[in-house]
Amino acid sequence: MTPHLLAVAMLAALVAAPLGVDAAAPDGCAVPVELQQIDVKLPHLAARLRTHRPVTIVAIGGASTAGAAAGAPDLAYPARLQKALAADFPDVAITVLNRGVARQTTQQMVERFPRDVIANAPVLVVWETGTVDAVRGIHLDDFAAALQYGIDLLKKKAFDIILVDMQYSHHTAAVIDFEHYLETLHGVGELDDIYVFPRFAIMRYWSEQNMFNFDGVSADKRARLAARAYDCIARRLADAIQRAVQ
Amino acid sequence: MPKPSKTRDLRLDFFRGVALIFIFIDHIPENLLSYFTLQAVGFYDAAEVFIFISGFTAALVYGRRLAAKGALYATAQIWRRAWQLYVAHVFLFVIFIGEVSYTATTFNNPMYTEEMRVADFLAEPYVAVVKALLLEFQPTFLDILPLYILMMLLFPAMLLVINWRPVALLVPSLMLYVAVQVFDLSLPAYPPGSTWYFNPMAWQFLFISGAVLGQMASRGVAWPRLVRAAVPVAAAVLAVAVVVRLSWTLSGLWPAVPGLFLKELWPVNKNDLSPIRLVPFFATVVLVAYYVRPDARFLRSAAARPLVLCGQQSLEVFCLGVVLSALGHIILSEVSRGVAMQAAVNGVSIGAMLLTGKMIAWYKAMDRAPAGAASSSGGAGE
Repeated sequence: MTPHLLAVAMLAALVAAPLGVDAAAPDGCAVPVELQQIDVKLPHLAARLRTHRPVTIVAIGGASTAGAAAGAPDLAYPARLQKALAADFPDVAITVLNRGVARQTTQQMVERFPRDVIANAPVLVVWETGTVDAVRGIHLDDFAAALQYGIDLLKKKAFDIILVDMQYSHHTAAVIDFEHYLETLHGVGELDDIYVFPRFAIMRYWSEQNMFNFDGVSADKRARLAARAYDCIARRLADAIQRAVQ
Repeated sequence: MPKPSKTRDLRLDFFRGVALIFIFIDHIPENLLSYFTLQAVGFYDAAEVFIFISGFTAALVYGRRLAAKGALYATAQIWRRAWQLYVAHVFLFVIFIGEVSYTATTFNNPMYTEEMRVADFLAEPYVAVVKALLLEFQPTFLDILPLYILMMLLFPAMLLVINWRPVALLVPSLMLYVAVQVFDLSLPAYPPGSTWYFNPMAWQFLFISGAVLGQMASRGVAWPRLVRAAVPVAAAVLAVAVVVRLSWTLSGLWPAVPGLFLKELWPVNKNDLSPIRLVPFFATVVLVAYYVRPDARFLRSAAARPLVLCGQQSLEVFCLGVVLSALGHIILSEVSRGVAMQAAVNGVSIGAMLLTGKMIAWYKAMDRAPAGAASSSGGAGE
């Protein structure tokens, strides 16, 4: 085991029922308070928002960032994040660019940073990664090195960074060993003082609440359910961003 | 170091038995018991123990056969063992295919297309099967047997060199290990772009170190003074390693605890057997060799007996552990990962492993004993 906050969240979820569920989430995407802790600030984004200057956010990641499962680009999580942030900060023009490309390892994503991230001069980069690395069994220290390299590139440009970990489904969790990749991702985040949005733990909590259960759902309704899940992810991520700029 | 004797060094069996149980525990993601295995307190884990003891016992057992019946017979015996390991590998691979293909075909959720690429090999099963037969396809948890098989295939040659001059094997082995650390050498695997999980060019050093020590032990060569002199150094190394590693585990549980040297040392490379893993392991070997005597009373106690038997039937118990950990992982993911279920999965599985060790030992003893005079001494496989 490697150190990270996730272990705490996992143990807490294991040993006891959730400590409490966020009462301020009337949107049907509530998560326990321990999955909403964020003690990292996003200074560049905060400065932009304070001065009401336009904000560009790049969401780079894999298939779940591209969001094809929901059926339309404006139903993917980055578009939903833009909508949620627009509601939170009505007097700032916020654009979230979707740079999701399916089936890429962390290393392959870093290779498209110059064109897909840096060229857009974002204030904040939301980097969703780790899935393909876990699926392909990339060696953990190669995974950690690729992450660190990417983070260093972004830090050099003085972008704020949020990392997003893997999706959870109890079916896939049973055949893929995500644990060590989650540990590595969260460990790198902790060492670099970067917030890692605990998507895996959040989706697992939802799964345990029997939300977004795809079993027995007909094919035409699956896209709608996927869109709902992406929307919930975007809302919780928007909450985290809001707390990190206060 | 043990004296030359006909009796088995039970320390080897006992610690290999413990390693097998730990490997099972660590193979279940998020297993609460994994906070109490080697990997939580030491930089190395049960894999090192398993490979080292396997090398040690191989030299002991086949060294004796070499002396008694010649090189040809010893080679045949070693390759028969490799064949058994190979068959076990194929058996585990079939179970893996069943598990993944079942999940991939019954679960078609558009949100998880990337995750389901774990079943990509089903698109070209003819390649995947051949690659698995060639040991190049090493899906999760099917990674340590290919290393062991490769070591056993090469072992006849290793054994002859060890018997001639142990140093003639140990020095090139160490050089190869160092070369891996410096030049980052690796062995390609399937799918293209991946490499062997346990890099044989690095891990061979551990296996060969074990074999060299095993050969010395079988000849009664021991340097008690050297071991005694090494004890304080080993104790210091291990103490530092445990404090640092434990601080990582604890800081994962309580963020207030600082993770010592985390930035400098983490993550520790397992694939290439980083010296950060190897050095504390060797320190442990020195301490165990010095403080745990081969005739220690606890090794013959009723409590240690099931673990000793597990260690003696290591191949069967290892395979069972891999199957049970995959099954346990599915149960914890699909049914519940609550404490009660964790206790049930761990309890039943470990119980089954211990019972299997006992059963096979009994069967082998019955098999060997002349009709009517069953011995209770237990089988002593390699």
